[in-house]
Amino acid sequence: MAKRITIDPITRIEGHLRIDVEVDNNAVSNAWASCTMWRGIEKILRGRDPRDAWLFTQRFCGVCTTVHAMASVRSVEDALKLEVPLNAQYIRNLILIAHALHDHIVHFYQLSALDWVDVLQIPKADPAAASKLAESLSPWPRNSRNELKAAQDRVIAIASSSQLGIFANGYWGHPAMRLSPEVNLLAFSHYLQALEYQRKALQIVGILGSKTPHIQNLTVGGVANAIDLDSPSALGMDRLEMIRTLLEEVVQFVQQVYLVDVCAVAAMYPEWFKIGSGVRNYLAVPDLPLDSRGSAFDLPGGYIRNGELAGVRAFQTPSDAVFRQSVTEDVTHAYYQGDKPLQPWVGETDPAFTGWNGDQKYSWVKAPRFNGEPMQVGPLAQVLIGYAQGHELTRKYTDLAISKVAAIGGVRVTPDMLHSTLGRHAARAIRAGMLAELAQKHWQLLVDNIAKGDYTVHNQPVLPTHEVEGVGTHEAPRGTLSHWVVIKDEKIKNYQAVVPSTWNASPRDRSGAHGPYEASLLHTPLARPEEPLEVLRTVHSFDPCMACACHAFDPSGRQIARVKIL
Amino acid sequence: MKRITIGGVGSVLLGDDGVGPTVIHALEANYSFEDCVTVLDLGTPGLDLVAYMSDADVLILIDSVASSSEGKLPGTITLYRREDILRHGPAPVRMDPHSPALSESILIADFACDSPKEILLVGITGEQYEMDSQLSPGVRQAVDRSVQEVLGELDRLGVSYSRKVQPDTSTAWWERATAPARSERLLRYAPGLVIAPCDADKTNAAYFANTPVE
Repeated sequence: MAKRITIDPITRIEGHLRIDVEVDNNAVSNAWASCTMWRGIEKILRGRDPRDAWLFTQRFCGVCTTVHAMASVRSVEDALKLEVPLNAQYIRNLILIAHALHDHIVHFYQLSALDWVDVLQIPKADPAAASKLAESLSPWPRNSRNELKAAQDRVIAIASSSQLGIFANGYWGHPAMRLSPEVNLLAFSHYLQALEYQRKALQIVGILGSKTPHIQNLTVGGVANAIDLDSPSALGMDRLEMIRTLLEEVVQFVQQVYLVDVCAVAAMYPEWFKIGSGVRNYLAVPDLPLDSRGSAFDLPGGYIRNGELAGVRAFQTPSDAVFRQSVTEDVTHAYYQGDKPLQPWVGETDPAFTGWNGDQKYSWVKAPRFNGEPMQVGPLAQVLIGYAQGHELTRKYTDLAISKVAAIGGVRVTPDMLHSTLGRHAARAIRAGMLAELAQKHWQLLVDNIAKGDYTVHNQPVLPTHEVEGVGTHEAPRGTLSHWVVIKDEKIKNYQAVVPSTWNASPRDRSGAHGPYEASLLHTPLARPEEPLEVLRTVHSFDPCMACACHAFDPSGRQIARVKIL
Repeated sequence: MKRITIGGVGSVLLGDDGVGPTVIHALEANYSFEDCVTVLDLGTPGLDLVAYMSDADVLILIDSVASSSEGKLPGTITLYRREDILRHGPAPVRMDPHSPALSESILIADFACDSPKEILLVGITGEQYEMDSQLSPGVRQAVDRSVQEVLGELDRLGVSYSRKVQPDTSTAWWERATAPARSERLLRYAPGLVIAPCDADKTNAAYFANTPVE
């Protein structure tokens, strides 16, 4: 007889997510993913000026603000057929990369490392041995015995005070935790360092965007950063140098710490290359435009079906007709009215809440489909699609990661093994390595273009009175994001956002096909079903962000995570 | 000199959840502060809150508080200090829907030895959190009182501020039903990176540009 386990909410993610699994013989036999919050934010945009939509859309969420601003201006630019000056493209690209690096670093260390790292093992570690191990893995200068000892002392102080602080609720001592005390210590000292480097990445977003969260420098047609090399108040060499210095530090952290740590964890949990694959259809859009028309990109896009890398199809541009025509959203199992899948331009968001019913409606997330099929999005999708196309930079960092895992653990990894829980973590680190290199490239492109005397940052938009429609995409930290806008009489007539986590957290569709979270959990072995650490590992590997809506601070401390076993 | 960060937390698109940013708007429209004070509309920062904490000796946050929690009327203001916020421990973790935000961020900052010594949360009991960019009447009336609570805290800390001779009377951009495209006005100022705290359309000085990390 199968037992049902409800985990509500999933912790260490942004926003609310509930997972229900059925467990049979200590393995997951069925799964449901449901978002417990309503997002009907598109409704607030109807009737507004399309040039202001980005200000509202970046308030969808506190974590992915920048990405919703970017997709929004791009959707209106697509509708108006408006080009974006080179300087503006480079400035936007730098913001996008800095935001993504910040996001990937926080995801690995603050939001998911503790699924693999057992904090309570740290007091047993020998800091000198940990330092020696670290030096064999990476040239990173902050792996000294003293630095590691200081991190260990903090854990010891907290562990002996019986106040575990942020670590009070881990599955410490769980049989699925298997790192040596030294590796636990090393990863943990980087947890602390990650807080500094994610902040430096955020500073770059702040310098270019004037403010973070919620950047202020975008405008339909470009950016509002005045470029003046001599003025201290505009974007000049002072600030560009500040960005270059910050970038150098962040790039070093990503390449010498983050990428290495992910490979080390992977090498020590190799069985997780066989767990958690699920939906093997992948979707990514091209991003980081290199020209003002948006016809050439530094990150490739396309799609893969059934895990067949050889059959990869490329999108030349994000507004590729195949992409525009293939996306629909199904609400058969979501709390909305409607009985057939709709293309986003004609999409509707009319709630019909029924309460959780696994056979009928059970989530506030719609089920986006591409040619009728569920797709997995995110860094893994992007890396596999780039790798399959022979994209040079993707190959470079993927091969680097694979050889690193082999060197550390003697584990032979093939690209096929990336269809897995560890594959998602590895791909995120691979993508971060690529982005770090691209950040420096785009900084140089911006400086070189300014040096040519080009100070243009903006093209004036002209709103037509007849009806136009556009799609704006961005390959965000969590995957393919698309904003779909219909403009009429200079106002927004319809607006829909298909966000990465709706692709991944999608419920079943009319044909009963599972969404990616759900499918990835099937057959996962659980050492202790009452402490479903393995479920968290796989769900966290997607980097869930369900914070597209939120409520208020609750001082009574209700809403505590519960694991319910039925 | 103590460094003080005043931050409004909440989504301006979810009814009374927007009260934090609205109080920030009112503070910036009517008062000037010493250089040691940073005033920020934080929106829903999640764990990014840690990054804003590490600069501050004192953190004053303004946020909406769930109406159901303590049976209080909408618009009731309750002050919470650090220990009140952490009373329920390191929520495992979502005690608040901006999560992982307040309690987790404080605990992470604590652990990194980078946490403000004093934290005050000005909590305003909300009534409705539906998709809407307006406050309910009870909460609207609490905006000025919340401003006074923040100023009272600054008095207690011995930090000076002054009332503007010409306050900005415009409403916050998210509350205007139809306004001239704000992004167009932003561009007309072409402010580059200098965004003046006194101008509602150029809110929040280039915080990060002015506070480099050591």
